[in-house]
Amino acid sequence: MTAATPAGPAAPAAPRAARPPAAPVRPAAARRRARRRPAPYLFVLPALLLFGAFKLYPIGSSFVLSLHRTEGGTQTFIGAGNYERLLDDPLFWTALKNTAVILAVQVPVMLALATGLAVALNSRLLYGRSVFRLGFFLPMVTGLVAYGIVFSVLLNKDYGLANWLLARVGAGPVPWLTHPLWAQISLGLALTWHYTGYNAVILLARLQSVPAELYDAAAVDGAGGWRTFLHVTLPGLRPVLLLTAVLSTIGTLQLFDEPYVLTGGGPDNATLTIGVYLYQNAFKYFDFGYASAIAYALAVLIGILGLIQFRVLGEKE
Amino acid sequence: MGQGTGFDRRRMLKAGGALAAGAGLAGAAGCSGSGASAGGGGSAGAKDKGRITVWSWQGPAAELKALTPEFNKRYPDIQVTVEDIGNPAIWDKITTGLAAGGQGLADVLHIGVDYLPGYVEKFPGGLADLGPLGATAHKDAFAPGLWETVAPTGKKVNALPWEANSGGFWYRADLFEKAGVDAEAIQTWDDAVVAGKQLKAKTGAFLIGLDKPASQADAANFFQMLLQLQGTFYFDPEGRITLGSPEAVRAMTLIKTLNDAGLVCDLAGGWNALMSALKKGTAAVHPMPTWFGGIIEEQVPDEAGKWKVRLPPAVRRGGSTAATVNSTHLAVAGSSKHQAAAWSFVEFVLTRPASQVRIYREKGIAPALMSAYGDAVFHEPSAFFSGQKRGEIFLAALKAPQPAFHYTADYARALKLVTDAQSKVLLKGADPAAVLKEAADQLARQTGRKAVR
Repeated sequence: MTAATPAGPAAPAAPRAARPPAAPVRPAAARRRARRRPAPYLFVLPALLLFGAFKLYPIGSSFVLSLHRTEGGTQTFIGAGNYERLLDDPLFWTALKNTAVILAVQVPVMLALATGLAVALNSRLLYGRSVFRLGFFLPMVTGLVAYGIVFSVLLNKDYGLANWLLARVGAGPVPWLTHPLWAQISLGLALTWHYTGYNAVILLARLQSVPAELYDAAAVDGAGGWRTFLHVTLPGLRPVLLLTAVLSTIGTLQLFDEPYVLTGGGPDNATLTIGVYLYQNAFKYFDFGYASAIAYALAVLIGILGLIQFRVLGEKE
Repeated sequence: MGQGTGFDRRRMLKAGGALAAGAGLAGAAGCSGSGASAGGGGSAGAKDKGRITVWSWQGPAAELKALTPEFNKRYPDIQVTVEDIGNPAIWDKITTGLAAGGQGLADVLHIGVDYLPGYVEKFPGGLADLGPLGATAHKDAFAPGLWETVAPTGKKVNALPWEANSGGFWYRADLFEKAGVDAEAIQTWDDAVVAGKQLKAKTGAFLIGLDKPASQADAANFFQMLLQLQGTFYFDPEGRITLGSPEAVRAMTLIKTLNDAGLVCDLAGGWNALMSALKKGTAAVHPMPTWFGGIIEEQVPDEAGKWKVRLPPAVRRGGSTAATVNSTHLAVAGSSKHQAAAWSFVEFVLTRPASQVRIYREKGIAPALMSAYGDAVFHEPSAFFSGQKRGEIFLAALKAPQPAFHYTADYARALKLVTDAQSKVLLKGADPAAVLKEAADQLARQTGRKAVR
């Protein structure tokens, strides 16, 4: 993005200010001169080098790796072999299915909660708004592994706080992390706790920029609270809802820390995500080629889902 | 609404961001690099001079530290630093070190049998060949089957065996007595099922405990022991998959029988759950290896005299009751600049009976070094274990002829599929033969190995 700036008319303007204003330079010549100037490139060079070494190179080398199989210490080129393996790997599909379930259930619930929360936090009727805002945002500040461990202690079947409280009201111990379905629910609860406030704050920021006149107009037209929400608030939130939906989708597809810490992907792969499966293949099975193929499949998937969301939720032309 | 013209560009940027985020993850896998040229680049250095670092965990690390002053009496010019990396953290640390071509690895590495073949196969040159340094002279010094584990091809010696654990059957003698069951008379696991029912009826105690949802990778230890008692494993000596074998189905069926009879308590959560079950006396039997005796003494010191140990029942009548279920080893990093000095340390710890006797006395870690068993410590009656000579019980198992179990570089993948299969059986009542066949087929597809029955 910044690389384009030197060619723009703004770049040569500053040095020319010292000269007599009488000599107009043709834009083409200015552009040529700007192109010869090394300074801008030198300025962006450190960032470019770092980006190249730590992002571009691994991304490229990962792709090359995904076309190879490591056997007996030698890399054998197998073309699309790893990708074919992927299609035939039930665990990969299980991971995809689990991710899809989280996307279809947890993300909408969380965004709905976040929207409600944003409206509540924006209400003039609420006293101590900043305290509540801070309170709901705070979970986001905790480290992923830290809160994963806290949840795994809270949800422990035998000595966790959750089951202790349930026992107070006479409810039986819930196998939070050790039963396939409950493990999925626990994971969803943890994610919702961590990210709802964060999304609410993003939505809140947008909410505050919805013009007050629209609400006044709605009131004049006789719209009630619900109608106002439906026809003023929601349309106003639309671009940011899209943003939070896309961010949550990407986050869900890359989900790793929470299931890794809470359940390790179990029991019986009920909480296996693509991120956890990728990790297992690379660092438990030393199958770096296959892990790279998983990563590329994931990147493509994220791209496709992102585009679909822009199409569906994006504004009409 | 009304964002108008800027939207297209923003949309592009965001979509690009989405792709980049995905690709970032792709990069994460890529930067781990290949293992093709791991290690190597090290040199022998002097046998009696240098500065070496040793990686181990908890108890063993403490013992290595304790042995250092004695080692320095013989080798005053070798400076030894022992680091307690912790287990399982040590595996990830060694893996990343090997993947980085030996960068940052210690000179001496403590490695379990479950990881050794994977490291050797995936990172050639990552571990030094101990043969030229003098290891071959100790070829016959260790328990049967272990030399094949450290030198599978017979050429390169990847490590030297340290501890050798046999499967055991640690039981609450008081509970068995209360139930009127003679634990020593149990010959097969089928007998154990009958005994377990009586035990449960009379005392309320479960027979054994298993980590049913497989919260930790070692949840399949019991299944694995049942295989090893039958002389088989996940792979045969040729590296073919034997998860669907009749022996494997028999082992998993036995687990299902035990579970369906209500004789298995759930140790969900792994180690902590096991410790809590041990303290509460939830399970009357812990089918754990040699080293577990030390844990029992440490965790429930008040129960001295209530415990006994024997070798596990056979799977089939007349079958073997001896199985070396796992071993650990010391290896020297291929990247080490002081391989000879590192070898001096390894040799001092692992081939000198006095070193091993001391480690056994302190931490109950059973040596693979057979000459160590001449010491009286292995032949003393144990007050805690009701006057039994438990050292001799396990020594008998160690001496029994048995095959070397072929872990292969794909052990971790196989283990994952086995624990999944076991969870399906224990949590969902799945059919043992069906889930094992499924696991074998899946492993075959993923590894390119052949599955045999």
